[in-house]
Amino acid sequence: MSTETKPKGQLYKQFDRVRGIIRDQFEFLRQDRLATIGIIVVAVFVFLGLFGPALAPHDPIEHDVRNDDGQILRLAEPSGEAVMGTTAFGKDVLSQFLAGAQPTFIVGLFGGIGTGAIGFLIGLVSGYYGGWVDELLMRLTDLTFSLPFMPMALLLLTFVTPNIWLMTAIIAGFLWKMPARVVRSEVLSVRERTFVKSARASGASDLRTMLYHVAPNVLPIGFLYTAYGVAWAIAAQASLAFLGFGDPTMTSWGRMLRQVFESGNMRVAWWWVAPPAIGIAAITTSVFLIGRAYEEVINPEIQTEQ
Amino acid sequence: MTLLDVENLKVTYTTEDDTVHAVNDVSFSIDEGVNYGLAGESGSGKSTIAEALLGLLPGNGTVERGKITFNGRDITSLSDTERRDMLWEDIAYIPQSAMDSLDPVMSTGDQIIQAIQAHRSVSDEKARSRVEELFEIVGLDPDRIDDYPHEFSGGMRQRVTIAMALALEPDLIIADEPTTGLDVIVQDKIIDKILEIQERMDSSLLLITHEIGVIAETCDELSILYGGKVMEQGSVDNVLVNPTNPYTMGLKNSFPEIDGSNEDAVAIPGSPPNLNHEPTACVFKDRCPFATDECGDSHPDLVSLPNRNHRSACHHVDKAAQMRRDAKNPETWDIPEAEDTATDTGEVVLETDNLEKYYEQSQSLLSQFRGEDPDYVKAVDGVSLSVRRSEVVGIAGESGCGKSTLGETMALLEDPTGGEFVFDGEPYEYYQNSNLEEFRRKVQIIFQDPFDSLNPRQTVRKLVGEPLTIHDYRSDEHEQAIIETLEKVGLTPAEKFLDQYPHELSGGQRQRVAVAKALVLDPDFLICDEPASMLDVSLKVNLLNLLRELADTEDIGIVYISHDLASLMQVSDRLAIMYLGRIIEEGAVDRIANQPKHPYTTSLLSAAPEKDPTTDRARVLLDGEPPDPVDLPTGCKFAPRCPKAEEECWATEPALDESEDEDHRAACYFPDDETAETAVEASQTDDPDQSTNAGSLSD
Amino acid sequence: MSQFQRFLAKRLAISIGLTLIAVSVIFVVLRLLPGSPFEALVTSGNLNQQQINEIRALYGLDQPMWRQYIDYMVSILTFQFGYSILRSQPVWDVLEPRLVNTLILLVPALVTTAILSSALGMYAGWNRGSLLEKSSIITTTFLRSTPVFITAIFFIIVFAYNLELVPAFGMRSVTASPEGYVDTFLSIDFLHHYLLPFTVAVLYYSGDFLLLARNGIVEKRGSEFLKLHKAKGLTEMQQLARAGRNSMLPILTYFALRLGMIFQGLILLEVVFGWPGIGRELVLAIQQQDYPLVQAAVFIMALAVIIANLAADVLYAYFDPTVSTGGGSSA
Repeated sequence: MSTETKPKGQLYKQFDRVRGIIRDQFEFLRQDRLATIGIIVVAVFVFLGLFGPALAPHDPIEHDVRNDDGQILRLAEPSGEAVMGTTAFGKDVLSQFLAGAQPTFIVGLFGGIGTGAIGFLIGLVSGYYGGWVDELLMRLTDLTFSLPFMPMALLLLTFVTPNIWLMTAIIAGFLWKMPARVVRSEVLSVRERTFVKSARASGASDLRTMLYHVAPNVLPIGFLYTAYGVAWAIAAQASLAFLGFGDPTMTSWGRMLRQVFESGNMRVAWWWVAPPAIGIAAITTSVFLIGRAYEEVINPEIQTEQ
Repeated sequence: MTLLDVENLKVTYTTEDDTVHAVNDVSFSIDEGVNYGLAGESGSGKSTIAEALLGLLPGNGTVERGKITFNGRDITSLSDTERRDMLWEDIAYIPQSAMDSLDPVMSTGDQIIQAIQAHRSVSDEKARSRVEELFEIVGLDPDRIDDYPHEFSGGMRQRVTIAMALALEPDLIIADEPTTGLDVIVQDKIIDKILEIQERMDSSLLLITHEIGVIAETCDELSILYGGKVMEQGSVDNVLVNPTNPYTMGLKNSFPEIDGSNEDAVAIPGSPPNLNHEPTACVFKDRCPFATDECGDSHPDLVSLPNRNHRSACHHVDKAAQMRRDAKNPETWDIPEAEDTATDTGEVVLETDNLEKYYEQSQSLLSQFRGEDPDYVKAVDGVSLSVRRSEVVGIAGESGCGKSTLGETMALLEDPTGGEFVFDGEPYEYYQNSNLEEFRRKVQIIFQDPFDSLNPRQTVRKLVGEPLTIHDYRSDEHEQAIIETLEKVGLTPAEKFLDQYPHELSGGQRQRVAVAKALVLDPDFLICDEPASMLDVSLKVNLLNLLRELADTEDIGIVYISHDLASLMQVSDRLAIMYLGRIIEEGAVDRIANQPKHPYTTSLLSAAPEKDPTTDRARVLLDGEPPDPVDLPTGCKFAPRCPKAEEECWATEPALDESEDEDHRAACYFPDDETAETAVEASQTDDPDQSTNAGSLSD
Repeated sequence: MSQFQRFLAKRLAISIGLTLIAVSVIFVVLRLLPGSPFEALVTSGNLNQQQINEIRALYGLDQPMWRQYIDYMVSILTFQFGYSILRSQPVWDVLEPRLVNTLILLVPALVTTAILSSALGMYAGWNRGSLLEKSSIITTTFLRSTPVFITAIFFIIVFAYNLELVPAFGMRSVTASPEGYVDTFLSIDFLHHYLLPFTVAVLYYSGDFLLLARNGIVEKRGSEFLKLHKAKGLTEMQQLARAGRNSMLPILTYFALRLGMIFQGLILLEVVFGWPGIGRELVLAIQQQDYPLVQAAVFIMALAVIIANLAADVLYAYFDPTVSTGGGSSA
């Protein structure tokens, strides 16, 4: 690209175009009401993830809820003191719910992006270069497929004290295989398209062809699987926490569910079960609903009615 | 008696934001035993009519109004069950793309049996023997009925669908572009087959195609469609010989003539109409050179011409004779007359000598271990060719003959495996070692598919500008260079296109952008691989004219690769005919057109349909299909199909005859000479059963 | 050697290589990482030096590392898994009944869902845009994206706690003491416990099959060959059957893959329902640091997936008449 500064008008035009592209990308939301609901849920979740701990009325772990007599309220139904009731240990469920959104959010966001990014790059390189590079990378994905995710993650987390970033890394380290395979097969078909041959004929280097011609055309798939990655990462984090392998210093939704389950109060304490369970189910389902609506738009084979 | 009567048919498609008026008040009728043709370019609504007749419209398509009467019954009012009973029993269908039309996971025989048993309770054995019979009729080996579609070649798959259409001996067969995508020789054989069988079965045929030549040869009556309207209809002899509608004239003139260059093809400028609203004016008005104010007011009704089976929808039918004369003149259509500059060809820019490109077949570890020689596919097998500046060399051949590989090898997208290759005075090794970038700047290639050869995520500015960036060429005047090139290829005003994405452009515009992308580096040599094969006729001619002009004005050497002899004849100075990796005939265009020497060339030329229904052409039907390129005969590669082959031909392969004049050489022991015509006739009398004995067509 | 055989040989070689690498990875994780469990095993207990030496010798920890690796590889690949620390029983005696419990729960669930939701998915895809399609997509999206233990908790609360239709926990009543598989599984009591986890497993698996089948049909619906089938006068159902046959292959391959992963159990499902399966046993073993059991269980799981992968590839090559078996396929 030339380095001369562009006149202002052109800059605006550029900007308009970028906005147009973004608008096109989200065009599908208008047509799919479910996806719109999904977006709202995700927005609320992002808000909770960022500000939840600050909004929590009490410290989720230290603070004991007491009644007017100063007695610790254990397993109390929602009331004036605790709007969403208390746990078996006399902690405030609302505070735990608000604070617990953050780890879920962090693991979901970074686990998802990590999954998408690693998978995209590996799929891109593997599919574009082919040959032994492809063979090697694909055998690597076969390997991660054959090693069972949950047990391996549990093993790793027993040696090292779990913390949220380690969990994120382990999750992304296991989940990248999904986008990698899909992106690779997409790259294989894009690579055969004439404009890629045409780029080579005009003298473009491999790197240039891969980055400028192949990558932009598989990017939508990459986005889609990043979104799915977010949902998988949230589910995986919740599952690990439920099994007792979460970060012991932080409250998370999965950990809340573990505590109800362990304490044997699932039968009575609906106020304790419902918030984290519904929270997790809502966010994972929403992400998938958005992803599916997007898939419907980007998958040309499904678009038979045009 | 009238078999099918279509009256005021109107079909629309609803898309998200628009309604497309695909077919607008079309009426025509087919009598029993008549072959009827529907001709038109893409978007004319011809396939939609077939789909409406068969009830195959996609979910968003609706028959708005109109009546379709078949054998006295109104089809549009049939219930689903009644319609199903009628399909195939009364009306059968030969689909457009034989490649995809057969169920890939069901054997071909079973698919036909299914069609039979869906309508008649026939035992499995009976159905099977009927299928064997049908295979025999269409010229397929009856032992292959259990084979799956992918085991057949394209032409054979089309024969399977024809066999299927014949299964219940229907009254009407609707054939939708039955030969599109097939090679000209195969096309000729398929058309011949359809006609022969349909004569025997005594059924009617509705043939839908964009090739008026095919209609001229096979049909009795036709309708010319444009923008969902019937422009002209009547008997083939009347409409095609004396067209009265400007569109028919334009369409007819834009088909390049195959024999000699006495009449240049004339393109119709502009692009097909937007059908997003119900047409109020004449649909052809925007492109019509004879349009007057009257044409803007309404679309003309079909007017019957006195005393003839001939109707035309034009406000100016009365001036038909005058228009017919004017239409042959390019100036009428606002196209500057191509000056016949007796092109001075410059020095040789690219030369190949015995160029080879072999692909190794994968072989098992065991035979590698044994040291067996691997099998090779000889895609390009000893091609010697030279191209001069300002010269267009055409390379013709059927699919699979290696012409595309030759193009890519000449562009060094594939490494040659043998032979010499000299470009601009330097050998192949010079470029391969370190100067590939220089080569990539000087040699450009344009690919077949305009819909796929542009990166959909780049704007025209980026597409055309990228080669400049890569080669750091004219880097301080990028924008300038891009605009200049766009204008050179006729995309004016260039500024309008700069920020558009490929999907916002029409097919013809896209191919122009592809040409601009190739030209922006001011190359010395241009390779065009079927650049026009996916374009409609009128656009095709535009592109050919553009390339011809570039060769003349920019001093570029051009290689034009195509299966379409007619367009090759129009654009090229010299022509090379390829068969199975070798050039079997080479020479000046008019010499080859008028006096082909190689029997293969003769049959290629004779296979092209003639758009003038009054001329009779001699068919030379070749046996079988090209052999497997892995396992080739030792002698002349063409010998197994050649009507003239003798022992000598089977023994050793003939080379291009070096002794004869530079301008016309062929690789054949028994070249046709001045008496070409008699040779063709002779070859026909040799085997009088050729065109009637179906069995001989199978291989 | 035919092309198919060559393809088979190549895939087989890859699978064997993968198994060796996977087993080695397990070794590395268990022995070589800092704070390796075997270290912990030796140092954690209140053992004197002699006991430590005995244990080290028992598990071969006094050998040099390469020797340990060889011994480990030989024994695990010959299915000699050693003794469980936790249960003081041969590992296989512990794992076998657990594995059977898992399979008896999940194999019927997988087969049921593969048939039902594929059929439903095909029907939904054929009637694209219908209410049935939309509602089935929402339901299955919810079921497959929500972690299975949450679905399980919802179901327990509704059906076990509130409606009290089925028990919430375990595979048999506490009082039952059956002997042998037949006695265990052929009883009303078992069925009673079986219903809820079975239902949740069916629902959990259903999403992928439904979407796969639905997308396959939607892709095929606009295809040229279906148009010809329709023109032939086939009924809607006959056309759907052909479209279904043409989108069968991805479903079949996916089924094979899932079948391999069943050997991992649905850990969370088993934990929530207290189902004594292999997944739950593995979590216990990890928590209790019973490493012979862990390595054997992980090995079995990995092997099952590798074999299933191989089976899927071969199935694909075998059943698709159009697929070329020339190159290695792995996507």
